[in-house]
Amino acid sequence: MSEESVLRCVLMLCCALLSANASNWLYLAKLSSVGSIRDEETCERLRGLIQRQVQICKRSVEVMDAVRRGAQLAIDECQFQFRNRRWNCSTLESMPVFGKVVTQGTREAAFVYAISAASVAFAVTRACSSGELEKCGCDHNVHGVSPEGYHWSGCSDNIAYGVAFSQSFVDVRERSKGQSSSRALMNLHNNEAGRKAILSHMRVECKCHGVSGSCEVKTCWKAMPPFRKVGNVIKEKFDGATEVEQRKVGTTKILVPRNSQFKPHTDEDLVYLDPSPDFCDHDPRTPGMLGTVGRQCNRTSKAIDGCELMCCGRGFQTQEVEVVDRCSCKFHWCCYVKCKQCRKMVEVHTCR
Amino acid sequence: MAGAIIENMSTKKLVIVGVALLLCQAFTFMVGGLIAPSPTTAVPYLATKCVDTIKHRQESKWFMPWGPNQCHKIRSFDEATAKMIEANNIVFAVHIPLPNKEMSSWFQFMLVILQFDIAFKMYNQIEDGAMVTIDVGLAYRDDTISEWTEMAHSFEQRKLSCNFTTAKTYENEGRYYECDLMPFMEVGSVSHKYYLLNMRLPVNERKKVNVGIGEIKDIRLVSIHQNGGFTQVWFAMKTFLTPSILIIMIWYWRRITLMSRPPVLLEKVILALGISMTFINIPVEWFSISFNWTWMLLFGDIRQGIFYSMLLSFWIIFCGEHLMETQFFEALVLGRGELKMCVSCVPAIQIFPERPTNKSQDQTERNRFSVYWKQVGPIVFGSFCLFIFDMCERGVQLTNPFYSIWASDVGTELAMAFIIVAGICACLYFLFLCFMVFQVFRNISGKRTSLPAMSKARRLHYEGLIFRFKFLMLVTLICAAMTVIFFIISQVNEGHWHWGEHTVQVNSAFFTGIYGMWNLYVFAIMFLYAPSHKRYGDEQSSGQCITGDAGANSGEDIQLTTTITHVDGPTEIYKMTGKEAQE
Repeated sequence: MSEESVLRCVLMLCCALLSANASNWLYLAKLSSVGSIRDEETCERLRGLIQRQVQICKRSVEVMDAVRRGAQLAIDECQFQFRNRRWNCSTLESMPVFGKVVTQGTREAAFVYAISAASVAFAVTRACSSGELEKCGCDHNVHGVSPEGYHWSGCSDNIAYGVAFSQSFVDVRERSKGQSSSRALMNLHNNEAGRKAILSHMRVECKCHGVSGSCEVKTCWKAMPPFRKVGNVIKEKFDGATEVEQRKVGTTKILVPRNSQFKPHTDEDLVYLDPSPDFCDHDPRTPGMLGTVGRQCNRTSKAIDGCELMCCGRGFQTQEVEVVDRCSCKFHWCCYVKCKQCRKMVEVHTCR
Repeated sequence: MAGAIIENMSTKKLVIVGVALLLCQAFTFMVGGLIAPSPTTAVPYLATKCVDTIKHRQESKWFMPWGPNQCHKIRSFDEATAKMIEANNIVFAVHIPLPNKEMSSWFQFMLVILQFDIAFKMYNQIEDGAMVTIDVGLAYRDDTISEWTEMAHSFEQRKLSCNFTTAKTYENEGRYYECDLMPFMEVGSVSHKYYLLNMRLPVNERKKVNVGIGEIKDIRLVSIHQNGGFTQVWFAMKTFLTPSILIIMIWYWRRITLMSRPPVLLEKVILALGISMTFINIPVEWFSISFNWTWMLLFGDIRQGIFYSMLLSFWIIFCGEHLMETQFFEALVLGRGELKMCVSCVPAIQIFPERPTNKSQDQTERNRFSVYWKQVGPIVFGSFCLFIFDMCERGVQLTNPFYSIWASDVGTELAMAFIIVAGICACLYFLFLCFMVFQVFRNISGKRTSLPAMSKARRLHYEGLIFRFKFLMLVTLICAAMTVIFFIISQVNEGHWHWGEHTVQVNSAFFTGIYGMWNLYVFAIMFLYAPSHKRYGDEQSSGQCITGDAGANSGEDIQLTTTITHVDGPTEIYKMTGKEAQE
């Protein structure tokens, strides 16, 4: 190992240690035992929050349930979007939730940061509309609230509050460390990109209600996209993420594309610093790096979910298993399914 | 209407009046753009899923989504499935407004829009033409502790028009359908502080109720109400405009009655226009602040409808009256070539020596409203159609706020029929109007050449006629263009512009500005088209066209009346009544 690479490793390790717990608040999703977060004392007991986040928690306890749902939403969506990839966003029962996979500044880390920042904004906005939170769009911390109040001109969009809360809660870790490290810059950028994925895909819906329902009077509002759509958008950004490095311009440090021939990234693009590992093998030193042994794969596909790529060339085994499937079902819109059981034989391919 | 103020006013005075009106116009725009907030607010709500744990339903039980006494909630329907809760026991609860807020009667009206979040599942898709049946109740209370009082209860059917934009594969399970907005509720007054909506989607497989509507994930509502600030600015405007129009109207009618002859049709129509404007202006809405008048929304529609049909009728009659006078002249010129050769400006009275035999009969024939049945008919019929449609929609909503004519197929067809008929009437009307305007212009241009060959009195009369017509044409076109432009801006625009630190509410400016504009329009018409005290060509008329004892007669020394024997064109009897010109 050359001296340079050793130095680089040490540096990376330092960086990794510094920001190792940056997404630890996602551990909230695993805290089902706590019940709902009702009082300030619970905030102290929440694992995974840094001191400033605990302060935010105490200041706005009512929002924390939404934050926790957001964390769960982020993990679910991550697992859905990565279901066919070698790293399938598997979580651990311990902290950090994704193991050490996202501690380096990889594409995967970029995705996790973006989706989690987006999910908090989403969940808080949703909680606003269902009446769980009291401040929301009428909160004076949010920009754009008219001073005359609700009766004069109504409140601003709830999404403004959701995004503002996400900014204060999720970004606080990077902000507290100062803007110095490139990793903090990357995280902040990706957090913002995640929130932008919601903001730039808001649907504008309108209703005409003039004389006889004509469009003489028309009211429009913005509706949040479904979270699956947000996930898809961020996944697309993940596929086209830009590798960047830190550069000093004047007194400020910014991230610029490593390959100067590439078009500079926009606010909505994801950026990453380090190339991803191949995620092929189980690495006991890196929690969360589970490898692809035993994963199911698709024999006919040539993409990443195909057996060739998924199993990293180790080959796969094929089993014929009997699957009990539900068929000719009767559904109600909620909570009621009556099905027959159909059995069929399916070939299952698993990686060696 | 001979000798209107507009003809006899000096250019300087006319400019002053015009500038004053323009300033008022700018002021109305500014009131809306700078003082008023945006006209309406939309508040999104997400229905809370409550569980009705009691087996036998109690009618009086209301489910609160939050706060004290909140219902037993579930987060998702997976939870419900795990707990073996049936669809019939799930109540969607929405409290309007959100916590720590209260509604106020300044909001004037409230409409609620319903939206379903339906996830795509391969084996549980939305069937074609699926209808959703909602058992909905609306309750109110005025403080946070008392019991809820039921306001309305109904079983409503709505058509689910949803489409799935991506491929229907297993891969895309969990994506949402894109569903159209559904009108859900409309109340014409917001007199209570708190409202509560409880919705159920009862399933009955035997009767095929709520079957095949997909997997509902959430119910979202959007409530729209007028902003209190906008209401206040609006009321203030109305309160200010009512006396100004009323005063000018009284002044106008006094001038008409001071004349020795009875008022002609056009003068009556202008008065009617003023009355319908005042009818809109009168701020009866102040009462809705303290009284629970749910019919206010419908009443507002009717008032606007009356004004619009009055305005349209006015245009037609204005064109018609001017057309008759000019057309009549045209016929004369063409019929008798000697007018062109009449170099010495022989007074018209000598060319046409026939005297009217039955003066009063001519007068009444000309003033007959029925002459315009062909043009006014479409207006009346069209507005009647819209009135019926409005009664079917907002009229029924007085008793059942959840009613919507668009909800059922028959209703949709009926509503479309009304609107299409009204649209055809509008097209017909505009064709008539355009044709008439075209005719008037053709006549005017034809007459231009023969103007110098007329007696002074008559030339002045026709010049006045042309000027009056062109002026109104111009003003009307400007007003209509302004309305259309602002309408388009308000449709395209986001609703507010930022100018440095100032926010300009474009939509509010549109409403106050356009409202103010039509008020000023009516004001200007009543002022400028009122009969003048001055006579034609006061000082200048020294030549051959001296009007008789003009000094004694204060106003209408020359009257031009045309008789109409059949609808298509006026007859060629031209007369000058009163003390006519003497040589």
